[in-house]
Amino acid sequence: MAGIGLDAEKDSKVLSFETKCREGEAQTLSLVVQGKKVTYRGPADMRSLLESRGENTLYANVRINGEVLNRRDFENIPIAEGDEIDILYFMGGGIVQPD
Amino acid sequence: MFNLTEEEIQRYARHIILPEVGGAGQEKLKQARVLVVGAGGLGSPVLLYLTAAGGGKIGLIEDDVVDITNLQRQVLHFTPDLGRHKAESAEETMKKINPLVEIDVYKERLTKDNIFPLLEKYDIVVDGVDNFPTRYLLNDACVMKRKRRVEGGILRFMGLIMTIDGGSSACYRCVFEEPPPPGTVPSCAEAGILGAVAGVVGTLQATEVLKLITGVGKPLYNRMLQFDAEELSFHEVKAQRNPKCPVCGENPTIT
Repeated sequence: MAGIGLDAEKDSKVLSFETKCREGEAQTLSLVVQGKKVTYRGPADMRSLLESRGENTLYANVRINGEVLNRRDFENIPIAEGDEIDILYFMGGGIVQPD
Repeated sequence: MFNLTEEEIQRYARHIILPEVGGAGQEKLKQARVLVVGAGGLGSPVLLYLTAAGGGKIGLIEDDVVDITNLQRQVLHFTPDLGRHKAESAEETMKKINPLVEIDVYKERLTKDNIFPLLEKYDIVVDGVDNFPTRYLLNDACVMKRKRRVEGGILRFMGLIMTIDGGSSACYRCVFEEPPPPGTVPSCAEAGILGAVAGVVGTLQATEVLKLITGVGKPLYNRMLQFDAEELSFHEVKAQRNPKCPVCGENPTIT
């Protein structure tokens, strides 16, 4: 897994997020993310939301309004006003694969 | 009265004085049979507290040796243990803490071939594994054998805890249906882990085991607790059994 926590990766995420916003897709949504009320401004898809929060989208499942989505195509998951979103992180421990 | 010796009554006095535990609870601990998978970051605090608490019979399965990079968080092992088998090192520490506890040591990796006979010997399982294939193997086998299991995971500054009543409450696959593809989730070796986070999560796992054994309180069933050390916050996510779960759903594909 390359680039975890590297500034370069974060910067590129922020950049792509800002680019999308400039393209006029931005919406303002009131959401509940990880149990906290937040006001989010950006494109109304899960990937944009995760990226705006600096989340590493590769190792999480998301749960929207009680439903766990076992999928990684976050750009195709729409988000809407009032959505309650939990980010469920995969945490495996020491090694990726046993020998 | 209770089937406890004078030494046990003294050793466990601070448990016994708790009305919710009492002599009856301590006796349940003495009768308990718990399997801890892994004697690493999570397994260390789990094994330390279960041993100290007088958890009757503790099984410990581990196939690795103590490496210098382990010592920052795997508090069961000490510097002179470098290069030793972790199972041996763990057993030695545990015996020093409490010689009254019976310890079964398995110097092997948990596999589909040894898991079922092993599970038969224990009532509660604690997950302190270091990889996804073993984590899913353990989940599936515990659901099939209807074992209670305390799941834990750690990465960087985060931790996750979930208690599962196999076949009754939401299982790991109800939340994380399939293992992530190799390489998509970094390991602690790659992404790092704040040592004390392992202590927090492992100690919570031990707390859940002690609760399960004594019947105190409400287990973390159908709930997943995420710990964020950076914010020092806990976030609880409700987990429901997934009817489409491949192992505990209506039409399981893993049997």
